[in-house]
Amino acid sequence: MKLLTHNMLTSHVKGVTKGYPLLIKATEVKLNEVEFNPQFVSRMIPKLEWSALIQAAEELGHRQDLPEELLPEYEKNEEFLKKVHRALLEVEVIEGCLKCPESGREFPISRGIPNMLLNEDEV
Amino acid sequence: MSDRIREGRLVRYYCTAGNGLERFLVDEVKRKLEAENVCQIPGKVLFSSSASISAVSELKAAERLFLLLKQDSPVQLSVHTSPAKAASILQSKLLADRNQWTSAVLTWSRLQGELVSRRPTDIIPGTDLGAGKEEEEGRGDKEQRDEKEKCRMKTTKSTIQQTEKESEIRRVTTGEENGPQTLEKKRKREKDTRGIGEWRDVERYGEISGAIGEAPTPEKKIKTDDEEWEKRGGSVCDHARRGPGPDNDVDSVENVRSTRGEDKISAMEPRLLPRFPVCFRISCKCTGSLSRFFSSQELSKVIGIGLSRRLGWKADLKNPQLEVNVCLSDDHCLLGIPLTRLPLANRSYIKTTGLRSTVAWAVASLAQIKPGSFVVDPMCGVGTILIEAAQEHKDSCFLGVDIDDGQLQKANENVEFANLGNKIHLLKASSIVLPLPSASVDAVLCDLPFGRKFSTKTHMSANLPVIVTEMERVLCIGGTLVLLLSPQLSCLLKKLLAQKSTGSTSNEETKPHTGLKDCPSSTKQQAFQIHQGVKSSSAQSTDPQSEPQHSLPPPLSSLKHQATMRVSLGAIDGLIHKYVKVDA
Repeated sequence: MKLLTHNMLTSHVKGVTKGYPLLIKATEVKLNEVEFNPQFVSRMIPKLEWSALIQAAEELGHRQDLPEELLPEYEKNEEFLKKVHRALLEVEVIEGCLKCPESGREFPISRGIPNMLLNEDEV
Repeated sequence: MSDRIREGRLVRYYCTAGNGLERFLVDEVKRKLEAENVCQIPGKVLFSSSASISAVSELKAAERLFLLLKQDSPVQLSVHTSPAKAASILQSKLLADRNQWTSAVLTWSRLQGELVSRRPTDIIPGTDLGAGKEEEEGRGDKEQRDEKEKCRMKTTKSTIQQTEKESEIRRVTTGEENGPQTLEKKRKREKDTRGIGEWRDVERYGEISGAIGEAPTPEKKIKTDDEEWEKRGGSVCDHARRGPGPDNDVDSVENVRSTRGEDKISAMEPRLLPRFPVCFRISCKCTGSLSRFFSSQELSKVIGIGLSRRLGWKADLKNPQLEVNVCLSDDHCLLGIPLTRLPLANRSYIKTTGLRSTVAWAVASLAQIKPGSFVVDPMCGVGTILIEAAQEHKDSCFLGVDIDDGQLQKANENVEFANLGNKIHLLKASSIVLPLPSASVDAVLCDLPFGRKFSTKTHMSANLPVIVTEMERVLCIGGTLVLLLSPQLSCLLKKLLAQKSTGSTSNEETKPHTGLKDCPSSTKQQAFQIHQGVKSSSAQSTDPQSEPQHSLPPPLSSLKHQATMRVSLGAIDGLIHKYVKVDA
């Protein structure tokens, strides 16, 4: 699971009103070299919940000095985009779990794929 | 990309396409190849383009690609015509114009050369540097290709040993295809038989291209033929020089026109010249009234003999240099030469195939994906739709969701194989409860499992309302929903949405599926409805009691119907529904 995916995920356990952002507990993290595409990154940034990305990157120890607040005119800031690129696409949680901030329900991540499937009584 | 366009001469091609995909192909050739004179007939799209052959061979909605040799009015014979007379009428109609045949072979040969040395972005035509580069890379590519061919040879070795007779029968059966029902079967067979003829084509091409230096002084054995060829080649050029000049005059004979510069080519690129006599075989498909006179097989023979006699070409069923596909019906008369060994629909970048690649591409092409779009497939299977979409849209982000570990594993392998790991992300979840915030997605694409290929535990028709409601929830306003459904599910969904929208005006014409000559511009008219007999008018269906048990009140009225298109999936048809979420 890449942090780009994490940024979109929310928990829909029955009764939960704010299942976002999910907490990450990683037991295996991999760093992949991914081709840098500045257009792609700057297109994605407006879609992100910035604080959730910072929190997740922090949890995994890959925040790299990314700021709390999104920089203005980030489209032109290649160095910044590279850092975001790294956090979004190169850091990958292979094993671990995601935890619902409200209910505490844990969703396992195995072989890089999070399992967000709920039991019938949780829907 | 547009700088790749317009680099060559205008060539007229045609592609075969699955039933229902013609209109997608029409759009695609116009958009990607700046194609002119685009014309659609059932199962085929004809067009002219000066785009590079490698761009042409990257078409996604097409099955197979052909160089057009001849398009003519259908052959009409009176019932009283004797078979011998019929044969001679056919021969004179199809073979009268020698230039058409020889120039088509020249063009074919040139395009083959370009395909072998394909590196479109690196080629700088007209400069020594570019030519050298092309040469070098061509060799590299060819080496790779040869490797592949060798492997192929091993696997097809046993088939090669088939007798000529057998291969003739098979040849005929692998002819031009139209029928969706037999397409799948045929393709399988084609895989076997094609292998034989066409790897040899490549090998022969290799001979041709290998003969760079020696071509002007041919071996004694074929000298007379070559002389004859030179005469013919000359006449082609003469004809061409006399021919009309301006580029926009496309109607008549592309291939003859495209030989305008052929004399120059023969001086500069002797390697591109085929060795005459051309060694060929005919694959004929004959339907309609003509089939009362001849079987497809007999027709192949008639044309083959005529061709040998008139042009001195050599028929070789087992091991031809090129294949000529002839398609004769009551509506059309179409001759072409296949340009690629494998159908274009065989994607080099997909490892495990799920949905047919051309249909997956068609679904994705309707989703209005833009740079930065976030696209979700809530039942992604092995990920075919997302891979087709991501190939086309480099700056967008895709999420594949599936409930099955096995499917996800294959999807994961496919994504890695296609090198799209940074664009396509995967997730295990149920399509009924997507772990995504509301209004967070720009497009939802989905091939709803039909239960034929995959035995789904959950009953799809019972769950359809919930699934569509969930899709609607995650879509943002203005977002697009594209679904591929079985005819049954299509009916059900139409009913469902009709109930929700209070007497909406999207009242479509019910029309039996004729599959014939629809004008590509009016998609509305092509919205085939399959349930004639069933109550079909959405405004009139006022029976809410027929709704399945999941009668939660979904806000589906926000889904505005845009189009319904019928496409062939081989054994059965599927319907593509397109909706846009509006502010309800």
